[in-house]
Amino acid sequence: MEGSCAGFRKELVSRLLHLYFRDGKTKVSGDALQLMGELLRIFVMEAAVRGARQAQAEDVALVDVDQLEKVLPQLLLDF
Amino acid sequence: MFVEGKKALNPAQKRLKAAVHYTVGRLCEEVALDKEMQFSKQTIAAISELTFRQCENFAKDLEMFARHAKRSTINTEDVKLLARRSNSLLKYITEKSDEIAQFNLERKARKKKKSEDGNKSSRETAEAEAVDSED
Repeated sequence: MEGSCAGFRKELVSRLLHLYFRDGKTKVSGDALQLMGELLRIFVMEAAVRGARQAQAEDVALVDVDQLEKVLPQLLLDF
Repeated sequence: MFVEGKKALNPAQKRLKAAVHYTVGRLCEEVALDKEMQFSKQTIAAISELTFRQCENFAKDLEMFARHAKRSTINTEDVKLLARRSNSLLKYITEKSDEIAQFNLERKARKKKKSEDGNKSSRETAEAEAVDSED
Protein backbone atom coordinates (compact mmCIF):
# COMPACT_ATOMS: atom_id res chain seq x y z
CA MET A 1 0.00 0.00 0.00
CA GLU A 2 2.99 2.24 0.64
CA GLY A 3 5.16 3.78 -2.03
CA SER A 4 3.14 6.93 -2.66
CA CYS A 5 4.82 10.23 -1.99
CA ALA A 6 2.04 12.82 -2.18
CA GLY A 7 0.01 13.62 0.89
CA PHE A 8 -1.71 16.30 2.95
CA ARG A 9 0.75 18.59 4.74
CA LYS A 10 0.24 19.22 8.44
CA GLU A 11 -0.33 22.92 7.90
CA LEU A 12 -3.03 22.33 5.27
CA VAL A 13 -4.79 19.82 7.51
CA SER A 14 -4.63 22.25 10.42
CA ARG A 15 -6.15 25.08 8.39
CA LEU A 16 -8.86 22.82 6.97
CA LEU A 17 -9.95 21.63 10.40
CA HIS A 18 -9.81 25.03 12.08
CA LEU A 19 -12.11 26.38 9.38
CA TYR A 20 -14.95 24.36 10.89
CA PHE A 21 -14.25 24.37 14.61
CA ARG A 22 -16.99 26.06 16.58
CA ASP A 23 -14.96 26.73 19.71
CA GLY A 24 -12.05 29.15 19.54
CA LYS A 25 -10.18 27.15 22.16
CA THR A 26 -10.08 23.92 20.15
CA LYS A 27 -6.55 22.79 19.24
CA VAL A 28 -5.11 19.75 17.48
CA SER A 29 -2.01 17.83 18.60
CA GLY A 30 0.84 17.39 16.12
CA ASP A 31 0.40 13.63 16.07
CA ALA A 32 -3.33 14.01 15.42
CA LEU A 33 -2.59 16.35 12.50
CA GLN A 34 -0.21 13.80 11.01
CA LEU A 35 -2.76 11.04 11.48
CA MET A 36 -5.54 13.14 9.94
CA GLY A 37 -3.31 13.83 6.96
CA GLU A 38 -2.99 10.08 6.57
CA LEU A 39 -6.76 9.58 6.89
CA LEU A 40 -7.44 12.18 4.22
CA ARG A 41 -4.84 10.59 1.95
CA ILE A 42 -6.57 7.22 2.38
CA PHE A 43 -9.94 8.81 1.65
CA VAL A 44 -8.72 10.19 -1.66
CA MET A 45 -6.83 7.00 -2.57
CA GLU A 46 -9.90 4.88 -1.86
CA ALA A 47 -12.09 7.10 -4.02
CA ALA A 48 -9.54 6.94 -6.83
CA VAL A 49 -8.76 3.22 -6.59
CA ARG A 50 -12.41 2.19 -6.30
CA GLY A 51 -13.23 4.43 -9.26
CA ALA A 52 -10.43 2.83 -11.26
CA ARG A 53 -11.64 -0.68 -10.36
CA GLN A 54 -15.17 0.26 -11.45
CA ALA A 55 -13.79 1.50 -14.77
CA GLN A 56 -11.86 -1.76 -15.17
CA ALA A 57 -15.02 -3.76 -14.43
CA GLU A 58 -16.90 -1.73 -17.05
CA ASP A 59 -13.99 -2.17 -19.45
CA VAL A 60 -13.56 1.56 -20.04
CA ALA A 61 -10.23 3.38 -20.27
CA LEU A 62 -11.29 6.47 -18.35
CA VAL A 63 -12.52 6.96 -14.81
CA ASP A 64 -15.33 9.44 -15.35
CA VAL A 65 -17.98 10.80 -13.01
CA ASP A 66 -20.27 7.90 -13.97
CA GLN A 67 -17.83 5.41 -12.48
CA LEU A 68 -17.19 7.59 -9.44
CA GLU A 69 -20.91 7.92 -8.70
CA LYS A 70 -21.23 4.17 -8.43
CA VAL A 71 -18.52 3.80 -5.82
CA LEU A 72 -19.47 6.87 -3.79
CA PRO A 73 -22.21 5.38 -1.57
CA GLN A 74 -20.02 2.60 -0.17
CA LEU A 75 -17.07 4.98 0.18
CA LEU A 76 -19.08 7.37 2.32
CA LEU A 77 -20.47 4.51 4.39
CA ASP A 78 -16.93 3.30 5.08
CA PHE A 79 -15.90 6.70 6.35
CA MET B 1 -36.54 20.08 5.53
CA PHE B 2 -33.02 19.00 6.54
CA VAL B 3 -31.34 19.77 3.23
CA GLU B 4 -28.92 22.68 3.43
CA GLY B 5 -28.32 24.81 0.37
CA LYS B 6 -24.89 25.34 -1.20
CA LYS B 7 -23.01 28.06 0.67
CA ALA B 8 -20.77 30.57 -1.08
CA LEU B 9 -17.07 30.28 -0.17
CA ASN B 10 -14.95 33.09 1.21
CA PRO B 11 -11.41 33.72 -0.16
CA ALA B 12 -9.73 31.68 2.60
CA GLN B 13 -11.97 28.71 1.88
CA LYS B 14 -11.30 29.04 -1.84
CA ARG B 15 -7.55 28.96 -1.26
CA LEU B 16 -7.83 25.87 0.91
CA LYS B 17 -10.05 24.21 -1.65
CA ALA B 18 -7.43 24.89 -4.32
CA ALA B 19 -4.74 23.39 -2.11
CA VAL B 20 -6.87 20.28 -1.59
CA HIS B 21 -7.48 20.07 -5.32
CA TYR B 22 -3.74 20.11 -5.97
CA THR B 23 -3.05 17.31 -3.52
CA VAL B 24 -5.98 15.26 -4.83
CA GLY B 25 -4.63 15.70 -8.36
CA ARG B 26 -1.20 14.41 -7.29
CA LEU B 27 -2.72 11.39 -5.54
CA CYS B 28 -4.93 10.54 -8.54
CA GLU B 29 -1.84 10.75 -10.75
CA GLU B 30 -0.19 8.06 -8.64
CA VAL B 31 -3.23 5.79 -8.86
CA ALA B 32 -3.50 6.48 -12.61
CA LEU B 33 0.08 5.29 -13.07
CA ASP B 34 -0.40 2.26 -10.87
CA LYS B 35 -3.72 1.15 -12.38
CA GLU B 36 -2.88 2.29 -15.92
CA MET B 37 -6.10 4.29 -15.99
CA GLN B 38 -6.94 7.88 -16.79
CA PHE B 39 -8.99 10.14 -14.54
CA SER B 40 -11.18 12.75 -16.15
CA LYS B 41 -10.84 16.33 -14.91
CA GLN B 42 -14.40 16.19 -13.67
CA THR B 43 -13.63 13.10 -11.58
CA ILE B 44 -10.63 14.75 -9.96
CA ALA B 45 -12.72 17.86 -9.29
CA ALA B 46 -15.48 15.71 -7.80
CA ILE B 47 -13.11 13.84 -5.49
CA SER B 48 -11.58 17.14 -4.48
CA GLU B 49 -14.98 18.66 -3.68
CA LEU B 50 -15.94 15.55 -1.75
CA THR B 51 -12.73 15.61 0.30
CA PHE B 52 -13.16 19.29 1.11
CA ARG B 53 -16.72 18.71 2.32
CA GLN B 54 -15.74 15.62 4.26
CA CYS B 55 -13.28 17.80 6.21
CA GLU B 56 -16.21 19.73 7.64
CA ASN B 57 -17.73 16.53 9.01
CA PHE B 58 -14.36 15.34 10.32
CA ALA B 59 -13.60 18.66 12.01
CA LYS B 60 -16.95 18.89 13.76
CA ASP B 61 -16.80 15.26 14.89
CA LEU B 62 -13.23 15.65 16.19
CA GLU B 63 -14.18 18.75 18.12
CA MET B 64 -17.12 16.95 19.69
CA PHE B 65 -15.09 13.85 20.55
CA ALA B 66 -12.48 15.94 22.36
CA ARG B 67 -15.14 17.96 24.12
CA HIS B 68 -16.90 14.75 25.16
CA ALA B 69 -13.64 13.68 26.80
CA LYS B 70 -13.48 17.12 28.45
CA ARG B 71 -10.40 18.16 26.45
CA SER B 72 -9.82 21.18 24.25
CA THR B 73 -6.95 19.57 22.33
CA ILE B 74 -7.85 16.94 19.75
CA ASN B 75 -5.53 13.92 19.97
CA THR B 76 -4.94 10.68 18.05
CA GLU B 77 -7.61 8.80 20.02
CA ASP B 78 -10.20 11.20 18.58
CA VAL B 79 -8.88 10.57 15.06
CA LYS B 80 -9.12 6.82 15.59
CA LEU B 81 -12.78 7.24 16.56
CA LEU B 82 -13.34 8.87 13.18
CA ALA B 83 -12.10 5.72 11.48
CA ARG B 84 -14.42 3.37 13.36
CA ARG B 85 -16.85 2.54 10.53
CA SER B 86 -14.61 0.19 8.60
CA ASN B 87 -12.59 -2.51 10.38
CA SER B 88 -9.73 -2.48 7.91
CA LEU B 89 -9.58 1.32 8.00
CA LEU B 90 -9.51 1.34 11.79
CA LYS B 91 -6.74 -1.27 11.81
CA TYR B 92 -4.67 0.74 9.32
CA ILE B 93 -5.13 4.01 11.18
CA THR B 94 -4.28 2.40 14.51
CA GLU B 95 -1.07 0.98 13.05
CA LYS B 96 -0.21 4.37 11.51
CA SER B 97 -0.85 6.04 14.85
CA ASP B 98 1.62 3.68 16.57
CA GLU B 99 4.16 4.29 13.79
CA ILE B 100 3.87 8.06 14.19
CA ALA B 101 4.16 7.85 17.98
CA GLN B 102 7.20 5.59 17.72
CA PHE B 103 8.88 7.81 15.11
CA ASN B 104 8.35 10.97 17.16
CA LEU B 105 9.57 9.21 20.31
CA GLU B 106 12.79 8.16 18.57
CA ARG B 107 13.24 11.64 17.13
CA LYS B 108 12.93 13.19 20.59
CA ALA B 109 15.41 10.67 22.01
CA ARG B 110 17.91 11.49 19.25
CA LYS B 111 17.51 15.23 19.86
CA LYS B 112 17.97 14.77 23.59
CA LYS B 113 21.06 12.63 23.13
CA LYS B 114 22.50 15.18 20.70
CA SER B 115 22.12 18.04 23.17
CA GLU B 116 23.52 15.90 26.00
CA ASP B 117 26.58 15.00 23.90
CA GLY B 118 26.95 18.66 23.01
CA ASN B 119 26.96 19.66 26.69
CA LYS B 120 29.35 16.81 27.56
CA SER B 121 31.93 17.74 24.92
CA SER B 122 31.82 21.45 25.79
CA ARG B 123 32.31 20.57 29.48
CA GLU B 124 35.33 18.37 28.61
CA THR B 125 36.79 21.18 26.52
CA ALA B 126 36.34 23.62 29.42
CA GLU B 127 37.99 21.18 31.87
CA ALA B 128 40.91 20.62 29.51
CA GLU B 129 41.40 24.36 29.15
CA ALA B 130 41.28 24.75 32.93
CA VAL B 131 43.97 22.05 33.38
CA ASP B 132 46.20 23.72 30.78
CA SER B 133 45.92 27.10 32.45
CA GLU B 134 46.97 25.57 35.81
CA ASP B 135 50.23 24.38 34.28
